[in-house]
Amino acid sequence: MTFRPFVPLLFAVMALAAPAAAADYQTNLGPMPLDDETKAVIAGRGDATASYDGKTLTVKGSFHGLPSSATEAHIFQSPYMGVPGEKILDLEVTRSTSGTLSGSYALTGAQAAALRTGKLYIQINSEKAPPGYTWGPNGTLWGWLFPAHETVGQDVPQQGHWFIPQLDTPSR
Amino acid sequence: MRKKILAGTVSAIAIAAGAFVIAQGAIAQGAQPGPFTQAQADAGRQAYNDNCAICHQPDLSGATDAPPLAGSAFFGAWKGRTTEALYTKISKTMPAGRGGSLDDATYTSIVAYILHANGAAAGTTPFTPAASVPIGAIATGKLAADVTNPPPAAAAAAPAGQPANVATSAGFARPGQAVRYGDPGRFTLPTKFGLTFKGSIQNYRPVTDEMLRNPPDGDWLMYRRNYAGWSYSPLSQINTSNVGTLQLKWMWSMPENGTMEDTPIVHDGIMYMWGTSNTIQALNAATGELLWENRLGPAPRSPGPGPSTEETRSMGLYGTNLYVNTPQGWVYALDARTGEEVWKTHITDQKPGIGGSTGGLIIINGKVLVGMTNCGRKGDDNHCYISAYDAKTGKRDWRFVTTALKGQPGGNSWNGLPDNERKGAETWIAGTYDPVLNTTYWGVAQAKPWRRDLRGTGTGATDYANSTLALDPDTGKLKWWHNHAPGETFDLDEVFERVLVDHGAQKTLLTIGKAGILWKLDRVTGKYLDHAETVFQNVFTRIDPKTGIPTYRADIIGQKVDQWLSSCPGPEGGHDWQATSYHQPSDTLIIPLSQSCVFMLGNGSETYFEMPGSDGNLGRLSAYRTSDLKPLWSFQQRAPFLTSVVSTAGNVAFVGDFDRVFRAVDVRNGQTLWKTRLGTTVQGYPVSFSVDGKQYIAVTTALGGGSPELKPGTMLTEVHRPPNGYALFVFGLPDAK
Repeated sequence: MTFRPFVPLLFAVMALAAPAAAADYQTNLGPMPLDDETKAVIAGRGDATASYDGKTLTVKGSFHGLPSSATEAHIFQSPYMGVPGEKILDLEVTRSTSGTLSGSYALTGAQAAALRTGKLYIQINSEKAPPGYTWGPNGTLWGWLFPAHETVGQDVPQQGHWFIPQLDTPSR
Repeated sequence: MRKKILAGTVSAIAIAAGAFVIAQGAIAQGAQPGPFTQAQADAGRQAYNDNCAICHQPDLSGATDAPPLAGSAFFGAWKGRTTEALYTKISKTMPAGRGGSLDDATYTSIVAYILHANGAAAGTTPFTPAASVPIGAIATGKLAADVTNPPPAAAAAAPAGQPANVATSAGFARPGQAVRYGDPGRFTLPTKFGLTFKGSIQNYRPVTDEMLRNPPDGDWLMYRRNYAGWSYSPLSQINTSNVGTLQLKWMWSMPENGTMEDTPIVHDGIMYMWGTSNTIQALNAATGELLWENRLGPAPRSPGPGPSTEETRSMGLYGTNLYVNTPQGWVYALDARTGEEVWKTHITDQKPGIGGSTGGLIIINGKVLVGMTNCGRKGDDNHCYISAYDAKTGKRDWRFVTTALKGQPGGNSWNGLPDNERKGAETWIAGTYDPVLNTTYWGVAQAKPWRRDLRGTGTGATDYANSTLALDPDTGKLKWWHNHAPGETFDLDEVFERVLVDHGAQKTLLTIGKAGILWKLDRVTGKYLDHAETVFQNVFTRIDPKTGIPTYRADIIGQKVDQWLSSCPGPEGGHDWQATSYHQPSDTLIIPLSQSCVFMLGNGSETYFEMPGSDGNLGRLSAYRTSDLKPLWSFQQRAPFLTSVVSTAGNVAFVGDFDRVFRAVDVRNGQTLWKTRLGTTVQGYPVSFSVDGKQYIAVTTALGGGSPELKPGTMLTEVHRPPNGYALFVFGLPDAK
């Protein structure tokens, strides 16, 4: 892969850091996989941030626009970014169509490494989302935790390189 | 939402319970009669032909974005699911983009026909939406012998006592087609074809080879304007300082129905347009006055927006002729002055059911080169090819088959499959050309079926699928090829535009496929030079820095038919047919990108999700410097871009999107300088031209097409578009007072 010397220094530092390094993460929560059959019950949006102090992960976030009330929320660990994985941690979530989510946990070394390499994601389930899909019963919103990066509004151009997960997240 | 499994009757419960036992006990599949009657299956055949066959094919074998509905691929994906799930899926999502628009009787009959087609035996209990039986317990996955037979006369009878084949909105559908009054996109299909308005354009200046090599500044003579595929206009009257005052000069409504992704072709103030039904029109490019019209036909196969097999993306001019390739596989030469037919030929000599051509054409040294789609099925002897025709006579000069057959270079890359099993490798985007090297460059689409486990090719590269081909345009001889995605498996084409750029003495070729990876090759040798990943992708875990050969994710290599697999990007593509523009003064390639992913179950089901890290923005427009592939700027938006980009010497670039916005951006930083909102999706290939010293920008609005229309159509629930509005818009600066 071609080296990109213009990748922000933040990511370069993170790539060299040990798994225990403190760092901030963020995600935008969007609908889980849907089609014309399920889009009426898989909808909504949210945001979450996570901070890791080298030992404890603290997650905070909010969501809105769910077609039915949230029932539970978890952190999952996936084998690759964008590929569903296994549930590893529970989060507190408002049992409503909008609200907040939160949690604080000590991570194992493997979990910390997964966080650092973009393999942890947040998932919110809701009452009426499909129960049968292999990637998680009632899954409604999800979002991968990536290193904190700049976000801007619609149509606002960013100069130079802009965040692309597989390029700006450490691979190991 | 998936309904609770509630059998509608005691007998249905009994059947379901029995079938479950059978399925669990691994007793022979298809041992129980299906929960449908023969009358339903017969009626379903007619309903299927009316509503489904246009995409899924009359023999249910599937095509492009439409998965197979019969046979091993379908059965592998659905044998573990129930008839109720199949009904729910079809009734809520089909026809594509118009889910729920048919009545229950029609949907139940279609499901009955699909079960019948997969070897299920009819029973005595009519199928109902609540009937829930494991499909693996009643069907075999073996194609019923009568699937391709014409429907019996009884099929026209109403299913389950319902008048399904009565057009309730008289005149708004073809005879016998079941429609509802409120169905979107239902408009009268044209029935009158031929030279409906003969032209008499005087003093027409024939287009020469020299003009094709060095196009006049005010003209747009071919697909991407020049042989190098730049989509760059040297005009500068409209520039960053005045583009904000752009105003509509004229518009022209285009034929509705079907699919339109057209490039306006302009020569000496005359604009040539392709419309659906292969309606070819010449217009005064300054005023919008019609000069001639030839409706070549046929009409689209169904009213309303069409699938991705009904468009042609560009025509071309040479001598005094206008050349047109049609989705039905015809190549026409029309007199550019009158619209009269000069000659026509068919790329497969009208072999039944074989041969389409949607990607436009390129004219090189007096030959018309066209690609091919719809190239046959596993087991037949047909293959895709690129072919060349004498521009004067239409006589075929050469063909180059785009699948490597046994004994040919690359022929050992198909895991030993016999030649008649090597399918796909369509060419649905016209090539580009280097006159100095006398080489034409074409992208080739993926092998078929998409999924390698269904294809039987193992880890074989399946040359020349997903490759760049370098051909001698005089003979069709292969000079070299480079396979960008050997063994591709997710419908991630690498078929799109090949852009030719020189960096000093180095002659390069740039292309970007659905994986969203911008590739750079040496176009003399085909050697890989560099790449840049422009969006999130999780299909490849590594790209070899010396060869450019990618390594697939482990679960992709070990895929199974009944396994859901994630692909980012999905079939919408990080990049698709919405082509790039190369702004030559700044060495900038401006790329329309999309950010959606798919979960794919065999070839049977797809679900879509937003690309991780995209914050829900399906659209992304990015600019890269081609000398070193440095990213220059990007912006994101919720709606994906449904046009190509055109850039100009005025340092502005134009692009349109799914949600009807057409905009101008500053090539140097991506800032939006002007935008307007049009009638429906801005779709096609915008161009710039001049007449009498005035510069114009032309763009089309249209509907229809494959994944770039269908995926956001599902995901962007907040976007509401009219189902009509096919049109051409021409913008210019205000007239001087």
